[in-house]
Amino acid sequence: MVVSASGPNPPGTPRVKSLNCPGCGAAITLRSFSQAVTVVCDHCHSILDAQDPRLTIVQKFKAAVDEDRRLIPLGTRGTIRGTIYEVVGFQRRTIHVDGIPYSWHEYVLFNPYKGFRYLTEYNGHWNDTSILRSLPAVNDNVNPATVTYLGQTYRLFQTTKAGTSFVLGEFPWQVRVGEAADVSDYISPPRVISSERTGKEITWSMGEYVSGRDIWKAFGLEGNPPEAVGVYENQPSPLSADTTALWLAFVGFLVALVVMFIGFESFAHNEQVFEGFYSFDTKVRGEASFVTDVFQLKGHTSDLELTTTSDVNNNWIYLNYALINEDTGQAYDFRREVSYYHGYDSDGSWTEGSHTDSVAIPSVPPGNYYLRVEPESDFGHGTISYSITAKRDVPQASFFGLALLALLVPAGFITWRSMNFEHLRWAESDYAPASSGDSNGSDRPTTLGNIFGKGSNS
Amino acid sequence: MIRNLYVLYGIIVLGTLAMAEYRGWSLNSVNEVKNVPKSVRDNPGSYRSVYGFYHHYTGGK
Repeated sequence: MVVSASGPNPPGTPRVKSLNCPGCGAAITLRSFSQAVTVVCDHCHSILDAQDPRLTIVQKFKAAVDEDRRLIPLGTRGTIRGTIYEVVGFQRRTIHVDGIPYSWHEYVLFNPYKGFRYLTEYNGHWNDTSILRSLPAVNDNVNPATVTYLGQTYRLFQTTKAGTSFVLGEFPWQVRVGEAADVSDYISPPRVISSERTGKEITWSMGEYVSGRDIWKAFGLEGNPPEAVGVYENQPSPLSADTTALWLAFVGFLVALVVMFIGFESFAHNEQVFEGFYSFDTKVRGEASFVTDVFQLKGHTSDLELTTTSDVNNNWIYLNYALINEDTGQAYDFRREVSYYHGYDSDGSWTEGSHTDSVAIPSVPPGNYYLRVEPESDFGHGTISYSITAKRDVPQASFFGLALLALLVPAGFITWRSMNFEHLRWAESDYAPASSGDSNGSDRPTTLGNIFGKGSNS
Repeated sequence: MIRNLYVLYGIIVLGTLAMAEYRGWSLNSVNEVKNVPKSVRDNPGSYRSVYGFYHHYTGGK
């Protein structure tokens, strides 16, 4: 993180100098001394030439004193990147979309040794910004254009015309209310490089996204920062960094899953412990239930897969089963049905059902067991033959399918969330990829420019 | 952070899978009845499972 709490009275703490406004006589506080080019009287809203000892008035503008709610009061000190800065200036920049004004706020910070840096805030999104000391390389031959700075490529996000609509405090440039500039933002989250063109002069700055909570902590502000609304242009996705690692972990789990499947298939006993062949005469009324011979289940507690196969032909057989432990009297009741129908109609031939049915009885302890079988079917449909086989410790492939699903769903969901985040980001861009859509219209923008009036280099 | 949580989650999933396979869990449900009398072996009709008296739907297209 770029900000931290400030310590008490470290070296480099700025001091203030008091003067009087030539317009109204109100006291003017100069916190940045000769570094300020203009200073604004917060009583009469005169913009004064701070380089002139007489503080000549260069512009007056009309504004209510508290027209804009300043989240960080002028004079507040905080530590950013280990350096104490004081808030010396505040301005509101405004753009118009379909005739509707949208504004963001900029705070001018000053340290006598480090100079100026800036904080921008829009809808609860903050950027820590400073003027670039060298020029980035602009590539206009691609669409959208990009800039490269210190080996990092930034993609053009938006261009707009931004005007200064309110100022207060000190500024290291000739600030004027009503002054407009063409601004462009190039992003590579969490950073943004912005250019501002006024006439022939271009100012480049770089911002890094900072959470409001960190700003509050750095400046020791009371309460909570305003909640961030929407997705900002250079807001880092909370998930994008994790999706690649997530899918790598998924691949690892997939390999483990395959190994486990092969292992269980290879080492499970999968042993046939019982087989019986029977016939059920549907023409005979009376008690049809019977019990099988006793068979032994060995090993640890495991499943028992019971398969019923019958030669039913356009008929069904229903079997009430009870797997009973001869020693403990523990019984597992379940019912199965084998039915098979076939025919031919206007749609062609059709079949329904199957000659075979399997069921896995869960967690059967070892012991001596027998089956009580009670067959049922329609009366008078002849004799139905069927066989019953029982296998011990049979791997259940369905669990591997469920495990695969359980691993896939969260990875897919997080990836979807990450993609959705990027979609929301680029939906606000003038240069959105085709798949991201482009609101660019009447909706209130989530992102605005990140540019500062006029910086020191051009 | 999310990756670590996912890895932990994946380990739990695979551990549960291993347990399910080893202990023979099944998605099928059965009704467990205790203390079935030994006389069932000699007289199977004396025992009626909870699934008895099922009214079967005779399928077919």
